[in-house]
Amino acid sequence: MKMLLRRRFVIIVVIIIVCNIILVGSLWRGILPNPILIVTLDFGSVLALLAILTLAGWGGFSWTQSQNQHQMRDDFEQERRTFEDQLKADRRRFLQRLNHEFKNPLTTIRAAITNLRVLSHPSISQSTLDTIENETVRLSAFVTDLRKLADLEVCPLEKTKITIEDLLQEVVESAGEQPEARTRHLTLHPFPQAPGPLPQILGDYGLLFLAIYNLLSNALKFTQPGDKIEVRAYDDGARIRIEVADTGIGIPPTEISHVWEELYRGQEARTTPGSGLGLAMVKIIVERHDGHVELRSPMSQGTVVTILIPATT
Amino acid sequence: MEGTRKILLVDDEQPIIEQLIPILERAGFDVISAPNGEEALRQIEIASPDLIVLDVIMPRLDGRGVLRRLRQANNWIPAILLTQVNESVDRIMALEEGADDYLNKPYDPLELIARIRAVLRRIRPGQPPLTAVQRLVSGELSLDRVARKAFLNSTELSLTRQAFALLEYLMTHSHELLSRERLLNSVWVWNYETGTRAVDARICEIRQALTDDSTQPRYIETVIGEGYRFISDVSGT
Repeated sequence: MKMLLRRRFVIIVVIIIVCNIILVGSLWRGILPNPILIVTLDFGSVLALLAILTLAGWGGFSWTQSQNQHQMRDDFEQERRTFEDQLKADRRRFLQRLNHEFKNPLTTIRAAITNLRVLSHPSISQSTLDTIENETVRLSAFVTDLRKLADLEVCPLEKTKITIEDLLQEVVESAGEQPEARTRHLTLHPFPQAPGPLPQILGDYGLLFLAIYNLLSNALKFTQPGDKIEVRAYDDGARIRIEVADTGIGIPPTEISHVWEELYRGQEARTTPGSGLGLAMVKIIVERHDGHVELRSPMSQGTVVTILIPATT
Repeated sequence: MEGTRKILLVDDEQPIIEQLIPILERAGFDVISAPNGEEALRQIEIASPDLIVLDVIMPRLDGRGVLRRLRQANNWIPAILLTQVNESVDRIMALEEGADDYLNKPYDPLELIARIRAVLRRIRPGQPPLTAVQRLVSGELSLDRVARKAFLNSTELSLTRQAFALLEYLMTHSHELLSRERLLNSVWVWNYETGTRAVDARICEIRQALTDDSTQPRYIETVIGEGYRFISDVSGT
């Protein structure tokens, strides 16, 4: 695209110069009558005319160029959105097919295990059957979660006005019931009161609850007894900023850019139970609310995950 | 009596049929099967099963098509459809297709048996199942399932979406003991890690709206360590 613009620029400049030379030459030599002044132009006037024509040509070119650039930017943005939508639709289809191709064999395996249990042949170890069943159940849940993740991108949202204080209060209370919460200092930071309480947001309460709950679950998973977990919220005028911060093990810099990807599991996360879908789900939920997510993790100093969502006006 | 009930399994996956038949037979049912929707309709005609378990995606005629044809012919044979119903769009569709219950694949075969028994228990001969009616009524309580509104003594109740969906599920499965896990799986769009506390919180919301005392419940009974049960009779219109 840059090459094309440069070529067009050179051509237009050459055309302007050539037209100027022909026009001024014709006036100077008297080939063309001077239509306005009916006087012979002196050398200074010719130079001034040349400058005016060049500037006018250049102005016209710049204006056209700027219009073209705006148009091209809009076109590019449109193409990018279409491409992203296409990618999402493809991925959704893929996950739905994956779900369909997995769910029948998994149903068969679960039924077969039930049948094997009643055969109670000495050569069939019950603990082996337990292992197969547990892993099948785990895989079943995983396949279902993958499909739900794809559904989450298109499911209708039931948006209501949400008071952040109530939402965070409920999430913290729920997460506080996890066994790990007993050994961490989980606190909800006091909400700002000046110049007034936090503005409300327009969103799907259930989904936002799920997103923040998930961040808290992660914080509980990746901290040690005695660590601190803080939930806080601010507003910057246009947006509400919700932060879940912890003093846990943190995330290496090389992994930070990948944590929002589906199925990504960092080095530390591999030894901790989980599906690798939680943060991907958080990102989808927040983006469906026209918000965005951020994560910073100063080396070995814990993690701060931020959700930014537009406030209602 | 239950041992004589005949179940029609409809699935194009032969291995599933092969594995499920002995399980259902051990549970005391007579079992017949069909590999697609057209064959299912033929079997219903000639074998008159007491209940059908229908897969959704099948060649020739899918599960939804089978149900639609049956219901259009005013045939209210109990049916369990093997799919998930969650979103509002699905719920409206579910009302129209008139399945008695839904179960998502992959499922635990013992859960299927429990669902079959529960559906057979709550049959209303010749009438649409409660899952397929537009209005549920239980004493002073009524639910308009299309408008998604609940009324107590004609006064509209203020319920969140999930509380409404939970109350709807409890009423369509009245007198059935429902575990928190099952409620979470059936009612919540995404139950990932939210834990069963979400169910308790919504039950609490419903009870407050209905002014239902948990120690002397008129509508929702807590079965300690097990789950919840809607204990009042429910009719549908």
